[in-house]
Amino acid sequence: MLDTVREVHTPEGVALRLPTAGPVPRAIAWALDLLIRGGILMMSATALSLIGNAGMGVYLIVMFLLVWSYPILCEGLFNGQTPGKRVMELRVVAADGAPVGWIAAIVRNLMRTVDMLPFGYATGLVCALFDPHGRRLGDMVARTLVVHEPRGGLRRAMFDAEPHTPAVPLRPAEQAAIIAFADRSPMLTFERQLELADIAQPATGAGGELGVRRLRGIAHWLLGRR
Amino acid sequence: MRQEQFVAKHAPSWIAFEAWLDARADRPRQARADRDWRGLPDEEMPHAYRRVCQQLGLARRRGYSPAVVDRLQQLMQRGHNALYRPPPPRWSRIPRFFLAEFPRRVRAEAGYMWLAFVCFVLPLVATFALVRLMPEYAATIFSQQQLSEFESMYSSDVAGGKLGRDSGTDVAMFGMYILNNIGIGLRTFASGLVGGVGSAFVLVYNGVFFGTFAAHLSNVGLSDPLWRFVCGHAAFELTAIVIAGGAGLRLGLGFLMPGQRRRVDALVEGGRRGALLCLGVAGMLLIAAFIEAFWSSIGAVPASIKYSVAGVLWALVFAWLAFGGRGLRDAD
Repeated sequence: MLDTVREVHTPEGVALRLPTAGPVPRAIAWALDLLIRGGILMMSATALSLIGNAGMGVYLIVMFLLVWSYPILCEGLFNGQTPGKRVMELRVVAADGAPVGWIAAIVRNLMRTVDMLPFGYATGLVCALFDPHGRRLGDMVARTLVVHEPRGGLRRAMFDAEPHTPAVPLRPAEQAAIIAFADRSPMLTFERQLELADIAQPATGAGGELGVRRLRGIAHWLLGRR
Repeated sequence: MRQEQFVAKHAPSWIAFEAWLDARADRPRQARADRDWRGLPDEEMPHAYRRVCQQLGLARRRGYSPAVVDRLQQLMQRGHNALYRPPPPRWSRIPRFFLAEFPRRVRAEAGYMWLAFVCFVLPLVATFALVRLMPEYAATIFSQQQLSEFESMYSSDVAGGKLGRDSGTDVAMFGMYILNNIGIGLRTFASGLVGGVGSAFVLVYNGVFFGTFAAHLSNVGLSDPLWRFVCGHAAFELTAIVIAGGAGLRLGLGFLMPGQRRRVDALVEGGRRGALLCLGVAGMLLIAAFIEAFWSSIGAVPASIKYSVAGVLWALVFAWLAFGGRGLRDAD
């Protein structure tokens, strides 16, 4: 129940891991979208007030489009991301991990009518809390999920270090831990780095600052820079 | 096989696959138009993708370093997205959808549509008859203030001879009708999710509302402007609300009586069909809003012309829903 990652097995027999998003980031994304929509509405109101009474009609049509079409069009055109979801690094995908289709985007957004009941998305929140994959009713009917975007590019920020061959063979979990250490070492204090590198002394064969450098070196070696 | 050997052996095919993904996966239409592509041929892509999947499985099983596994995983996910995404919408099919496929979809749900029709028309006729016979009942459904507002909307001496409104220009009312009526139509469908209760409620409520409203105006002698106003756009508006209600009933009753499916599967099917019906409903309500704002409201048109136009519109709507798309070959 605590692990929100949904594993989907593709027809080719490999597992696809979809980290589903909880109600809080989704609510923030929704609030951001609300701000954007409000902003567009206010701007169009100012522009349309210049053309008088007919402007009122156009203003109401803009309002209709913002209420009903904005999420559908954004999710359909930008591969499951409204601007708010983009900021929060969320994405709507089909339940099998494929990109979301237009019909699914229409269904999940029409169903907001029910998720909003009786006030403030209470129904949707209760559903999302009970569902293991954090889906609201609209997601269930449309067979979609909201997932966190995978974060790439962290590895490029790694410190440079001389590749170093580990003194002992490493198991996959140990390899992953060492690479994660190298990934995060720019964010850690030096003392903490020393502390962590000391645990890996059997692999580095050295303690202190040399150990830290060798451990980063091992990470580079594991990533294939020899 | 050692990891280095594995990577050395397969890296060229990964690079070719990655180049294909970068160049051709995101914009298939542009890619098809580009005849100069010399990389991995499109028809080889599924095969290359399956090879990547198999190699990913091997790499995981043999415990290769995370760098290799991550790279393959990334290739696999991008390939999966390219291969399993839904087909892009074909905009040239829009006329075909509205002229042929939408009426067919309505007829495919005929049972639910008739149920929705009964939910709407029965309360309408009942309240109309009741209030015509006993006018004082109008005041139990609407407040006195509402009733006098209705009366003022249909007295010809206000709003510059415009029918059916207190004030506002045609364009402003057009926007108003779009915002309100299409919104109501879409909500009528969506609220059916709760076992069909929401849709049924909207249908009955609107039936009672309109029945009382029409009967009251007839009682105070305003039946002529009322019918002159509503007869035209009602052809599209009332039918659209009934269709939206029918789609909502199908969604909700499918959940209550899923047959030999899981409930969630019944919901998914109802939602998909309902969404397509909603596209048509929104189109119908857009037409209705246009007629209501720019034609129905003209007070100067004599009743005979109004009724003839309305007759044509009703006949068109029924012919369209009853015969549209009959005998047409199924779309692929």
